[in-house]
Amino acid sequence: MSVEAREARQPWILLSPALTAVALFLFVPLLFILVYSFWLRTATGADQAGFYLDNWREALTDAFYRDILFSTLRIAAITTLVCALMGYPAAYFIARSKGNKAILLLLLMLPFWISYIIRTMSWINILGVSGALNTFLLWTGIITDPIQMLYNETTVILGLVHFLLPFMVLNVFVSLEGIDTNLEDAANSLGATRWETFLQVTLPLSLPGLAAGGLLCFVLGAGTYITPLVLGGPRDAMFANLVFEAIITQLNWPLGSALSLMLLAVLGVLVMIYNRYLGMAQLMKGLG
Amino acid sequence: MTKKMDNTTRYERLRERYMNGDLDRRSFLGMIGAAGLAYGVQTPFAKYAHAAAGEVRFDGWGGVVSEAFREHAFDPFTEKTGIPVVDGTFGGGDEYLSRVKASQEGEYNIAHLSGVFDYARYYNLGLASTLNEDNIPNLKFVIPKLVDVFRNVSDGALSCVPYDYGTTGLAYNRKYISDEEMKEKGAKILIDEAYKGKIAGWGDWRTRIWFGSLQTDQDPNGATDMEAVWDAIRAHRDLSLKYWTSGAELMSLLAEEEIYVTEGWSGRIYALQEQGHDIGYMDPPNGYGWQECLFVMKGSPMEACEELLNFMLAPETSIAVAEGQNYPPALDPQQVDLGSKIPTLPAFDPTGTLSGLTFADPAYWNVNEAEWSKTFGRVQKGY
Amino acid sequence: MGWQLIRGWAILVYIFMFLPVAVVVLLSFNASQFGSFPMTGLSFRWFIELANNEAILRAFRTSIILGLLTALISTTLGVLASLALVRYRVPGANAISTLLIAPILVPEVVLAVALLLFLNFLGINKSFTLLLFGHVIFTLPFVILVVQARLISIKRDVEEAAMSLGASPRQTFFQITLPLMMPAVLAGGLFAFTISFDDITGTLFWKPGGVETVPTQIFAMLRNSISPEINALGTVMIVMTVGLPLLGAAIARQISKKSGT
Repeated sequence: MSVEAREARQPWILLSPALTAVALFLFVPLLFILVYSFWLRTATGADQAGFYLDNWREALTDAFYRDILFSTLRIAAITTLVCALMGYPAAYFIARSKGNKAILLLLLMLPFWISYIIRTMSWINILGVSGALNTFLLWTGIITDPIQMLYNETTVILGLVHFLLPFMVLNVFVSLEGIDTNLEDAANSLGATRWETFLQVTLPLSLPGLAAGGLLCFVLGAGTYITPLVLGGPRDAMFANLVFEAIITQLNWPLGSALSLMLLAVLGVLVMIYNRYLGMAQLMKGLG
Repeated sequence: MTKKMDNTTRYERLRERYMNGDLDRRSFLGMIGAAGLAYGVQTPFAKYAHAAAGEVRFDGWGGVVSEAFREHAFDPFTEKTGIPVVDGTFGGGDEYLSRVKASQEGEYNIAHLSGVFDYARYYNLGLASTLNEDNIPNLKFVIPKLVDVFRNVSDGALSCVPYDYGTTGLAYNRKYISDEEMKEKGAKILIDEAYKGKIAGWGDWRTRIWFGSLQTDQDPNGATDMEAVWDAIRAHRDLSLKYWTSGAELMSLLAEEEIYVTEGWSGRIYALQEQGHDIGYMDPPNGYGWQECLFVMKGSPMEACEELLNFMLAPETSIAVAEGQNYPPALDPQQVDLGSKIPTLPAFDPTGTLSGLTFADPAYWNVNEAEWSKTFGRVQKGY
Repeated sequence: MGWQLIRGWAILVYIFMFLPVAVVVLLSFNASQFGSFPMTGLSFRWFIELANNEAILRAFRTSIILGLLTALISTTLGVLASLALVRYRVPGANAISTLLIAPILVPEVVLAVALLLFLNFLGINKSFTLLLFGHVIFTLPFVILVVQARLISIKRDVEEAAMSLGASPRQTFFQITLPLMMPAVLAGGLFAFTISFDDITGTLFWKPGGVETVPTQIFAMLRNSISPEINALGTVMIVMTVGLPLLGAAIARQISKKSGT
């Protein structure tokens, strides 16, 4: 075998296990539900194979799905924004602090060791009528009657922010770490105030990290269904809840497939826009 | 970029110089190793994947129910017969049916199903088996009315044995709502403006439609004005703080006084009362009664399953499980002495006729299932 | 001044992140079953119930085994792929990276449903192996992201030096490259383990009969009743992940102090 041929094959051999796994367990199943979304649910329970546009017509023309999709994107966007506002200064603090940065980052991951459901449900113990916060406020005398804080869109966003904030902080932290501090010093020595330096040097240079964190928060946020179930009121549902209901409650797998792909397509467009302008390489740096 | 390529090329040349030339084979061996690892992983767990001969797979509600089953039924059964029982849990009837539908025959054996309509769904999907009743002599202790409704669905044969029953009635905090007020208002208290924000309900479409029918004075097994029912559901939705989806949520909403009134599962409310919470429980006229059965799927090891069902129906097992999960057993109190705790459980009927309970009529509910579950999904979200 | 503000903000963010942890730990010592405040008394009963709860301990063992295997396979596949993408010129490397990262960009419900329906169509029984590979798929992107970033920063000169001194590529990899990227490999493995350990959506769909992980077991327990022993489990996890390393560090310090004098 020639040297060149072997050289060309080498990386593919290294890549093949991962690529095979992703193809077999992700892309083939996705193709399969694409086919499935054109089938038809029948009353007897067995799905009718064929090429029917009914599910797609329903998913695309019914205002119900569109409205929930928009409200899901809105909730994900607000969550991402809050994560950015909370996460950026925190990441800045970690990146510029003199303490042990690794420990500060690991501490941020600590809540992950308590199961997601328990973490989410613990907000009920914090914000409930007889929860920690109301008890504290009553004790201080600021309020005389407990405030009803739970089970609305705000608590859903709160739960999502708590879940996604570490992803934002990690990404921003990495891009801040990568900035040459000499640049900041140079700007300062040229007469810029610290605030001007931040706005004109640091912030632009860390924008890619902010964008990578934002993408992760948005995509993960838009795909959740347990948080609205636990912390939302009767009306608060996100698009993934619709997918779940179609598949599980209504046993309508073809429609559920179509809805899944619809959500995937919308998020896919966002990923493509991101990829076009920033490239996946940034996401890669983000978690290093 | 050019620099990277240069580096790569240089690296490749170096590597080539020192290489023995058979890295391909080594990577290949590595992959085989990974495959072997995966195989090795599977083998110790393979016993879970298929119900091997002489093993029974049982699925039921988790938590206290599954603990009661494990302690009072499965472990003694395995000890006695040597047949292991592998138990799994599900979060809801619909979720479980979708899992069964997406499984191979024989993967699931016995399930603790709720309601005759569920039995009918499984029967209509071709998932039913036919039990040899001679192998289940303890069936004679069971309340006849409970057995008959299942026979009616499956042309006289049985694919399950009834096991317990309960109600979904109204649970209320007696500090804020008196027994008299409850009696007077019945199910309509759930759409009473006075308790706005202090009301909850189960986010299950059947229950919502059932109570919507009661609130509009219709027969829950034959509502004629569905628009009125949907409006009642909308009214309830707007007054509700929360649709709960689990017993944990139901209990903490009530116990922590987040809400004052909701529907509730009789056994769970009894558990709250047992702990000293001042929670009242009332079955309104035509309240939602349900019975649960142990259903055997097609393709199961029938003799082992029948033996387990017989063991579980034995009075001592039935009573112990019932006391653990707070739902009365399906055994006829006229034939069997049920001890002292069971007669105090909500929904318990000492006559064994169950004439006071209204069960969901499978014909009515299953015909409308597809449409109503979908419509409820929309109404819930504000439509 | 500005720095003080940032520090204050960061402290608030940490408090926000730790609030649920604090509440879970606090409630695990609660005498009552319900998480209402003020707490009525302290008790260890939930820890005792946890120790006696066979089902959750079984689930805990399953979760640990599943998490470790996921981390092992995911890290192996991730390291191989990262090596190929960083150390070789692969045509369409950017597209391949995107493909490998795709699993985190697909909502988990979609991934779970797609795989389940596909397996059903093929007539394949659910098994622990399939659950394991499901976990590998959605943890793989995190490993690749972490390892790749680290690999880029490892200078090739070091590897080349080793080889010019007569080391074989295999020796170079195991003695030079691997130790250098070990922090990233460990971080990637930790990531994979954590995510696998905490996963609920995919596991709920993919788990075969008789297999429960901690999250699915908790889900099933909550179905009926409130079980504060899950708070006790949370406390145990926190103690294990925070307490043990701290204890280890303290012991190491003590030993080094003694040997120093």
